Amino acid sequence: MAGEPKRLEHPKSVYVIGFIFKIITLTVLIGVVYQVTLSPHGPAVLVPIQKKMEESQRSAILDEVRRQEEYEKHRHFHNVVEYPELPENLRPVCYICHSDYPHSKSKKVRAMLNMHTQFFVCETCHIEEKKDATVAYKWYNPYDGNPEGPFFGTSYDPDTGNLVEVEDLFSKIAPYFEFADGKSETALKISDAPLAQDYMKVRDKLTPEQRDNVKKKFHVNIKPKGHECDKCHSKKGILDFKKLAFSPNRAIDLEQLNIKGMVTKYEKFYIPNLFSD
Amino acid sequence: MGNKPLLKGRKIMNQLTIRCFKEDIILELPKILITAILCIAAFFTFTLSGSEADAADKENCLMCHKYKQIGRIDEQGRKRSYYVNENIYGNTTHRNVPCRDCHSYIDKLPHDEVTEEVNCANECHVKPPFAKENFSHKNIIKVYNESVHGVHKDDSEELKQAKPYCKYCHLNPIYTRVDEKRIAFEQTLSRCLNCHERKGVTQAYKHITHRLRNKTSRSPQEVVQLCSKNCHANMPLMESLKVSPESLESVETYNESIHGKAVALGSQKAADCISCHASSSIHDVYKKDHKLSTVNDANRINTCNQCHENVNERFVQIDVHSGLGREEKPLLYFVNLGLQVVFYASVLGLVGLMLLETKGRKKDGILWQIKKGTSWRGRSKRK
Repeated sequence: MAGEPKRLEHPKSVYVIGFIFKIITLTVLIGVVYQVTLSPHGPAVLVPIQKKMEESQRSAILDEVRRQEEYEKHRHFHNVVEYPELPENLRPVCYICHSDYPHSKSKKVRAMLNMHTQFFVCETCHIEEKKDATVAYKWYNPYDGNPEGPFFGTSYDPDTGNLVEVEDLFSKIAPYFEFADGKSETALKISDAPLAQDYMKVRDKLTPEQRDNVKKKFHVNIKPKGHECDKCHSKKGILDFKKLAFSPNRAIDLEQLNIKGMVTKYEKFYIPNLFSD
Repeated sequence: MGNKPLLKGRKIMNQLTIRCFKEDIILELPKILITAILCIAAFFTFTLSGSEADAADKENCLMCHKYKQIGRIDEQGRKRSYYVNENIYGNTTHRNVPCRDCHSYIDKLPHDEVTEEVNCANECHVKPPFAKENFSHKNIIKVYNESVHGVHKDDSEELKQAKPYCKYCHLNPIYTRVDEKRIAFEQTLSRCLNCHERKGVTQAYKHITHRLRNKTSRSPQEVVQLCSKNCHANMPLMESLKVSPESLESVETYNESIHGKAVALGSQKAADCISCHASSSIHDVYKKDHKLSTVNDANRINTCNQCHENVNERFVQIDVHSGLGREEKPLLYFVNLGLQVVFYASVLGLVGLMLLETKGRKKDGILWQIKKGTSWRGRSKRK
């Protein structure tokens, strides 16, 4: 009829009120459906189906890994701290096969060598020098082209004597080739390098022999045995600790490291018991 | 200011030990001379150390173990981390215990692969206040050994393997502040500070107040999770250990109970496993027919009395872990089923009505409906 408001010409407040009521109704409905189907406090009618689906997708390997992680937390006892990890594609390519704990052969030093992966990439220790280039060492961070620190392990907290806790957990010392013409190139291969990505794509299709063949290509310029301790932990070491932003007292400690002597010069180093009681 | 001697002490220690390795001539000296130098170095560290973790690390184990990547993948492919975070360790209950008090099998550096387990009954070189003997966990271990979780002679090999040992349940406890409502932390601590040094007394105060919340320092949710996960809710394990039918479904019946539901919904006051099954000794869990069991018929009044008032003989007959099996308890089963039907029918009916109402109101709008009456049925009444 003329002059009469049409059905959809309601005041705006009506829509607002209607919307609020709809939300409330929907929330109650979702709550009720959850209560009936999956909630542990209700009849849980869908739980058997959910369990069946989980069972079909279950991996014995994954279960065992989780169980071991849980076990390790308690075995370790000293409060295992979870740190953020780099995504696979930003990790050095070596990680694909060797993980963050690559050393396992020498019982005496394997844990100590693995400790170094916190500070530098594999190439820092295992790089084969080129004839036409010198190797320079800089801090490398996959998220930051020019990391400025402060970096972990580079200084002591004057209050506690402990190493300073830092925010940058990803920077590592990495080698760069520097050529006579002033050009510089990274000696580091990260996992999104074309060769690495291609390998990840096809590695399940390759025979073990073919896989070995490809792996050789990853090890160009890589020597199996890394540097000896003295190569870095000495006054004229290849790493200029001060230049790499280590504090003066930390740099001296690293140059004149106690552990190095224990590892290289002594078979056994007995701990005195005079002050035990 | 106070840390200058510490840093100086560390520096001297470092220099002394460095010289041991650096100068070749030292290599020729008898071992006793090296030991003597190290003793002097150790003396400086002992007397001048100031960091919290340093208190326990008189032999500088953290020299290696403070790095997070120290570890390896073992022969079975398991990741083994040997990292001890010095800042966190300094804030735990074991902060003053020298490393070798627990790891007593380590006698040289670099030490061999550790194959021995730590014995928590070891006496450590920490003397508690009010006592002259060295501290040890042996009292609580005695209670634990006699409990249902301790290993007994007549246990099968499988049962012995499955029983929880200290580290199975315990991690190195980190001090946390107790709820302000329970203890006004700063206000109470300020009284201690009249006589005692802040750093030491704050840790001691946290140590004492750590347990002043519930029977344990863990939340009810954590306790239920601890007892259930991997153990009492692990049906294949429990079946293989041939536990009683009641024990087999204990987690399920607890979760169905009023206590279990309250804890699942976040209550910090509702009873968890420890509340009923152990006294303040916490480790004295027994089977319910054992006379020392807190859930034994003779002791139940005291147990329920911890939370409930006016507990009498009839009250303690209430089945806390009540299963609702159709065969065992048909009446209870059908009453429960009937109540569930009534509950869901009411809720779903109401929601259905609301949906119909909403659909109807959409036709003419709420204001019109308020003024002119309902419009949800039939054609629009707007004229």
